[in-house]
Amino acid sequence: MNDTAAIRTSGLGKRYGSGWALRDCTLEIPRGSVTALVGPNGAGKTTLLHMVIGLVEPTDGTVEVFGRSPRRDAQDVLPRIAFVAQDHPLHRNLRIGEMLHYGRSLNPSWNQGLAVARIEQLGLSMKQKIGQLSGGQQSQVALTLALAKQPQLLLLDEPVASLDPLARREFLNAVMAAVADDGITVVLSSHIVAELERVCDRLITLAQGATQMDGSIAEIVASHRLLTGPRSDAASVARVHNVIRESHTERQTTLLVRANGHVHDSCWEQHEVDLEEIVLAYLGYQPGNGAAQAPALEEIAS
Amino acid sequence: MIEFHLDKSGVPTYLQLVQQVRQAIRLGILQPGDQLPTVKEVVTRLTINPNTVLHAYRQLDLEGLIEGKRGVGTFVSSDPAPPPPDDLKGLRSSLDRWVGRARAAGLDNEGIAALVAESVRPSSISKVA
Amino acid sequence: MTWVGWRLQRTETFIVVGILALLAALLVPTGIQMANAYHHDGLAACLATSPNPACANAIGGFRQRFQSLLDLGNWFNLVPGLIGVLLAAPFILDLEHGTYRLAWTQSITRKRWLLGKIGMPVGAALVAAAAMIVLFTWWRSSSIHLDGRLDSGNYDFTGTVVIGYTLFALALALALGAIWKRAAASIAVAFIAYFAARIFVDIKVRDHLVAPLKLIYKGSQHPSVLANAHIVSMHGDLNGRRVIGDGGFFFGSTKFAAPRLDNIVFHVVYHPQSHFWPLQLTETGLFVGLAVVLIAFAAWWTTARTA
Repeated sequence: MNDTAAIRTSGLGKRYGSGWALRDCTLEIPRGSVTALVGPNGAGKTTLLHMVIGLVEPTDGTVEVFGRSPRRDAQDVLPRIAFVAQDHPLHRNLRIGEMLHYGRSLNPSWNQGLAVARIEQLGLSMKQKIGQLSGGQQSQVALTLALAKQPQLLLLDEPVASLDPLARREFLNAVMAAVADDGITVVLSSHIVAELERVCDRLITLAQGATQMDGSIAEIVASHRLLTGPRSDAASVARVHNVIRESHTERQTTLLVRANGHVHDSCWEQHEVDLEEIVLAYLGYQPGNGAAQAPALEEIAS
Repeated sequence: MIEFHLDKSGVPTYLQLVQQVRQAIRLGILQPGDQLPTVKEVVTRLTINPNTVLHAYRQLDLEGLIEGKRGVGTFVSSDPAPPPPDDLKGLRSSLDRWVGRARAAGLDNEGIAALVAESVRPSSISKVA
Repeated sequence: MTWVGWRLQRTETFIVVGILALLAALLVPTGIQMANAYHHDGLAACLATSPNPACANAIGGFRQRFQSLLDLGNWFNLVPGLIGVLLAAPFILDLEHGTYRLAWTQSITRKRWLLGKIGMPVGAALVAAAAMIVLFTWWRSSSIHLDGRLDSGNYDFTGTVVIGYTLFALALALALGAIWKRAAASIAVAFIAYFAARIFVDIKVRDHLVAPLKLIYKGSQHPSVLANAHIVSMHGDLNGRRVIGDGGFFFGSTKFAAPRLDNIVFHVVYHPQSHFWPLQLTETGLFVGLAVVLIAFAAWWTTARTA
């Protein structure tokens, strides 16, 4: 089955007890793209990734990877997907060489040469015990395990959340090199927006189990504007464009809009908005007007 | 060989790469026939999405500034035509805005011309690279 | 998966081998002593030619030397339980540390993973049980000659029940571990539950696994069929009135001689020696059956409910 999308979900949902971790999620992730999955903790990012890799059975809806069901067709699909779970679990009392042997035993498409080359490139030795490596090194070993399987789709669940800035940069660098080499599709979930812009070309935002935004980053940045002007109501703007966030002071109104075409209204001053501001607005952040605020994404990171 | 860098100027990444190549050609840092870094090299150096680099190289190819040779690499075209000034429309509109501000500050046409002349002096061009 | 299963179970396997080695180190010297005493002090010869009561002196001497040791040996009932629960550790640790997610997102199916993760400890348990049976049967061989296989010290160790005990303990730990995903707690509770189950079955269930036989006889001449039999219950009536209740008699090597007994009518419910294997196989079947149910539960819970 030849499908142009790497991942396709339709009305996908998962309920735990009385609450929905993810609801009515419909998205399409094109092959070869690097997609960021952004949202605060508990938004459903991990649940979504778990359903894509087949770890979790959906309550509602369907998910397809390269046109196949990851759970029912696991035998065919699993070799094509690699997953690095949050906190990159590895067997701590195995040596690196044994961890690779593990990968080789459990994956028919394993490339031992690639794995060995990466470990060498990282400056690590096969004899080192996983438990004695630093967090950054462990995440790199976990990534090696994932890439040596030669997947077509790489799923990363908060891969850099617990890493220092240098380790973060090195990890993402390794992912980018793999994309350059093999054209793999990547989906990485994160609650740190700042670094994603250079690495990802698409973005999906999730909040409280619902998807709000799904598109290419270039298009997102190009189509959103910050409008400032004398205090007025947003109705005239809202008739043509989507007002994502509005805030008012005594004399001034600020609107963050997703423009449908050009904003012609000349009484508004237009500014470009950077990606982080856009994402924060979608996730519910209201700059200090006393209303309940969704915490800033960077704060959640700690 | 050109070495790319990125800044947080708000200019899209691919465009920054494009502009740096154009500028390098203009300044003679890149000569016709010089090889550009491979996509993998740029990606490893800057930790950016390979698609971004491909986009930039495609743009430069369209402009006739570079050409790709299969299996060998990407090279600066042997076409000696100077690259067109980039972002002409953007330059124009920001110039209009600046002029508006200058007038609001009280400068007359002479004063504006003087400021422009000063900033295009040779010693100030090197700041751009 | 075979290499993976072995490598992740390596430590626990070595611990179990260590336990068995320790056991052997304790049992072999004393076992040799007992075997020597048994043969060289004349018990073998004596028991071969005349019935038990005639060898009273030789037997008495042997018991003086070794009975307390043999009785202490009953504590070894804990060993199959210990080995069983320890062998469940790799499975539970995989769940506790989240590394099962690593395994389930490689390329093998969950079923294949489960087969290895559960199959290996079961295999190891069977091997360990076999080793224990061989070791204990050899160690207790003198006691088997003296007191028969139905004697509880011998019954627990010299038949097939050890297999059932070890598998049951393993299965308990696997089932608890599947739910709690905490190795230390699951193993501890499983071990205690094993102990409790063993006591319960020993006291309440064992006698009734196979229908016992009934015998009524008069006088002090104990029928030979009762030699080394396992008495479930007995009482003695004199002229229709209960005069002797349970626990008043030792059959086998000691003869209780008293003229009054000649008129007492004894009612005995017992298992003869010939019931040894039926009892063994039934009890083994009971524990293995429980083990199978618990393992099936652990497998189902892990694949259907865990993410």
